[in-house]
Amino acid sequence: MLSTLIWLPIFGAALISLVPMNRSRLAALTIATLNLLWTLSLLWRFDLGTSAMQMQEVLPWLDSLGLTYTLGVDGLSLPLLALNSVLIWIVIYSSSEQIIRPRLFYVLTLLVCGGIAGAFLAQNLLLFVLFYEVELIPLYLMIAIWGGQKRDYAAMKFLIYTAVSGVLILVGFLGLTWLSGSSSFDYNAVSPSNLPLNAQLILLTILLVGFGIKTPLIPLHTWLPDAYVEASPPVAILLGGILAKLGTYGIVRFGLQLFPETWTLVSPGLAIIGVVSVLYGALTAISQTDIKRMVAYSSIGHMGYVLVACAAGTQLSLLGAIGQMVSHGLILALLFYLVGVVEAKVGTRELDQLNGLLNPIRGLPLTSSLLVVGGMASAGIPGLVGFVAEFLVFQGSFSTFPIITLLCIIASGLTAVYFVILLNRTCFGKLDNDTAYYPQVTMREQTPALVLAALILFLGVQPTWLLRWTEPTTNVMVAALTTNHVEQVALNDQPTMSGFQTPTFRN
Amino acid sequence: MDQILLESIWLVPCYALAGAVLSALWFPSITRLTGPRPAGYLNLLMTFLSFLHGLLVLPMVWNQPAKQLFFPWLQVANLDLTLPIEISALTVAATVVITGLNLLAQVYAIGYLEMDWGWARFFSLLALFEAGMCALVLCNSLFFSYIVLEILTLGTYLLVGFWFNQSLVVTGARDAFLTKRVGDLFLLMGVVALLPLAGTWNFTELAAWAQTAEVDPTVMTLVGLALIAGPMGKCAQFPLHLWLDEAMEGPLPSTILRNSVVVATGAWVLIRLAPVLALSSVVMTTLVVIGSISAIGGSLIALAQIDVKRTLSYSVTAYMGLVFIAVGVNQIQAALLLVLTHALAIALLVMSVGAVIWNSTTQDVTQLGGLWSRRPISGLAFIIGAAGLIGLPPLGSFWALLQLADSLWSTQPWLLGLVLLVNGVTAFSLTRVFSLIFGGKAKQMAQRSPEVHWLMILPMMILLGFVVHLPMLLQSFALLPSWVELNKDVALLLLWSSLTGCGIGAVVYLSNAVAKPVQFPLHGLQDLLAHDFYTAKLYRLSIVFSVGLVSQITSWVDRYIVDGIVNLFGIVTIFSGQTLKYSTSGQAQSYVLTIVLGALLVGGLMLWSPQL
Repeated sequence: MLSTLIWLPIFGAALISLVPMNRSRLAALTIATLNLLWTLSLLWRFDLGTSAMQMQEVLPWLDSLGLTYTLGVDGLSLPLLALNSVLIWIVIYSSSEQIIRPRLFYVLTLLVCGGIAGAFLAQNLLLFVLFYEVELIPLYLMIAIWGGQKRDYAAMKFLIYTAVSGVLILVGFLGLTWLSGSSSFDYNAVSPSNLPLNAQLILLTILLVGFGIKTPLIPLHTWLPDAYVEASPPVAILLGGILAKLGTYGIVRFGLQLFPETWTLVSPGLAIIGVVSVLYGALTAISQTDIKRMVAYSSIGHMGYVLVACAAGTQLSLLGAIGQMVSHGLILALLFYLVGVVEAKVGTRELDQLNGLLNPIRGLPLTSSLLVVGGMASAGIPGLVGFVAEFLVFQGSFSTFPIITLLCIIASGLTAVYFVILLNRTCFGKLDNDTAYYPQVTMREQTPALVLAALILFLGVQPTWLLRWTEPTTNVMVAALTTNHVEQVALNDQPTMSGFQTPTFRN
Repeated sequence: MDQILLESIWLVPCYALAGAVLSALWFPSITRLTGPRPAGYLNLLMTFLSFLHGLLVLPMVWNQPAKQLFFPWLQVANLDLTLPIEISALTVAATVVITGLNLLAQVYAIGYLEMDWGWARFFSLLALFEAGMCALVLCNSLFFSYIVLEILTLGTYLLVGFWFNQSLVVTGARDAFLTKRVGDLFLLMGVVALLPLAGTWNFTELAAWAQTAEVDPTVMTLVGLALIAGPMGKCAQFPLHLWLDEAMEGPLPSTILRNSVVVATGAWVLIRLAPVLALSSVVMTTLVVIGSISAIGGSLIALAQIDVKRTLSYSVTAYMGLVFIAVGVNQIQAALLLVLTHALAIALLVMSVGAVIWNSTTQDVTQLGGLWSRRPISGLAFIIGAAGLIGLPPLGSFWALLQLADSLWSTQPWLLGLVLLVNGVTAFSLTRVFSLIFGGKAKQMAQRSPEVHWLMILPMMILLGFVVHLPMLLQSFALLPSWVELNKDVALLLLWSSLTGCGIGAVVYLSNAVAKPVQFPLHGLQDLLAHDFYTAKLYRLSIVFSVGLVSQITSWVDRYIVDGIVNLFGIVTIFSGQTLKYSTSGQAQSYVLTIVLGALLVGGLMLWSPQL
């Protein structure tokens, strides 16, 4: 069941190395499609009524080490798994066979897919670390082989940072298990509650730094702009869309959920780091002249919202945090994809040289229209998925950290500033007559962007589909936090219903 | 049938939205096959459906208590986001006004944008605005109002940026978006902060809550100030007024809609929020102060503008300022009435000058003149529009201003003076524009300037009819005061101020008594007003500059300090490795020497160490 999500891509990767070079894309796409369908069936079978781990699979592996092959899925991991499957499909679909070594590319992509699914599904700390490390080398290769000019530097930086993050996480997990005297690394067997507070604090800090590198948080972020910008668009989608979510997933799963008592101690600090990330990302993005770098910095800002929401730790804010992870994944993927299209067709990413792409005849009208959608979704315009997540984050965090939440709202205004700069310079303006003979964007090249934009719009209009999976899980997480936040209550006495309904009518 | 129509009133915004979505098919793919026109006709049809639907429902809800419809949207973690729709005479009438004006604007646009290739984009955006505004007036929730306002902000950006090839358009679109967005974000802060206090976003429940609420005055003041920031942006009030002026770079048919009803969205939200705002006297005073500054500032700036669209846009700021004052002194009915009369009158004015702009190749009023003989219909429309906008009986705004002035008569006489002044200055300014365009002798640009074709004249005439008959409509809805309770002193004052304004304007600009072109007595004052109190420059020097500077600094810190430390770490590692490799020389002597030195060092340490 759940193992399929891990092993289908990994065995598929092995299989692809056997098929001929010119069929590799088709084969990879088939596997990604199967994977996506399997994920959808998982959504179908997922029980919305319970907060417990579902569809668990347990296989003894190295019992003497405390390492068991335990998988499970809950409301926190399910949306991220779905995001993973969707984005892997997009990545494979949008990649071209004209790149060098296409077969290797697909093999690595599928390995990453399996690794990420494994990390989200794992119910054992060591197993998590294993899967967490599995995606490191493929991604290093993907940046180093298919990247831009400074790819070696970017790939090495990424490798070192992520390896350090992996080591810190391993240290944290080992320390946690050994100090608490547990004989197993299973999530439900490990609990730091009987440890002294100082030990808990140290362990939590180690883990937070580890996951903070991956997320990334200020000031551990400098691998990000280089890696995102140097990576080819599909790899950037992988990195920003899904990989970054491993960091925030870890913060929720192993920070908030594992250390509920200590969490409230560190949460004010975390919220400050979060809001600094948000402001820093937005401000830095404003002064970039490379649109890809601008989008990369926007990512830092948006992950900051997740941290603020996690720190606030109310039902609403956690829901918003998980929604923000998914929405950020979709929006960032769309933006990176479109930036890739623009770069491929126009030949530059420089704001000073781009102009007038909205021109209906000689420009890239559909691509730039979708760029408007992506940018506005990222800036949090309602009707698109970014708003729903950000709004829940704001509303949820306001009761705990009012000032910080207000600063976050200001930062979302700054987000609008750099996206308006981006759109004004690229889409608006006058097309240069001498250079503007751009190749057509084919339908096949439009499809990924259209799919992503449709998802962004659908989840923005019907956010229930984004949030319904998560709610039971976040409710339990909040209940476990020892704080006594004053929950915000909407006192409406309207009948509670969900999904599409007929309106009720009253005088 | 009636009941079905009534309960499906929520379809009114949906028609337009469907039109907007369907038009998307035309940009630009189908355009190559059919040309751009079908997209426009489709939207016209959809708008007509909305208009008809609203019109049919209006008699059913007249004098009936308000009904509410509820659409569940999202229920998570004890946050209930249900969309409440209020069906009342007021809301339905508002949709009729909006769809009606949009219908006329669209017909006008078919004529005005005859040669344009971007119909699909333009009409779908107009439809988006119509849908948004109808949704705004129908929805009874602050949260959903915020959503609509924010979407309309995006719509403004795209609509102002319609002719995106021109650099002024691009900056205008940017400024419109960012200014409105600033207001929206403050509104969002207010929305977020209000929920824990009131527990609801439903306007009706908010009003009920405000009756008995006991909130810390400081908190309430802050929340209230945040809440009025959104309307300030939408209504182009000082200091967020800049965008409306720059938005004049957009196509004129969208200006018809923008100057009349889009700016009024802010006023609408403000009016719905009035009970909550009334909780804090500071907020109410702020409303009055902002409204007063905008009213006086806007009407004065309008005097010095030479771009014909801008002369009108600043009057919009001034009138919205009057609405702010009305809400600030709790004259809700006067505010609503003023919004309505202003919408119709200003739409007519914009249509009239639009016709002149369309085939005169200039919109500089100093280049025009003498058009009265050539364009009597446009001229008449301008006169009626101007008369409908200022307090001139029996047309609409007179009654709205009268109601406002009447309430100020006994309580705040200085505000009454202000209203009279604004009315007089606006009368002067409209007379000035009329005289410059239609009066005097024809200048070069106005020599060959015939009346426009019927597609623009027809909507203008229909609207003219409505402006003229608005008092009768109001009378039939019992919205006008009876002769007995009319405060004659105030009415006379109002009339006097209008007539003085018009009279002085006519003397200055129509007669030969004053040398043309007319100069202000103080040259600096003229420059100050012509450049909008140098607001754009002030913003550039303050906010834009500081955000730019801070972002440059952050970017520099990121590149050279944060990343610099990381790279320094790498360089140090590599450098030390590179250096240390020379220590591996392969000479036994040096190894022995190292060992001996090391042993001596350790031995020395052990000897000298006090513990041993």
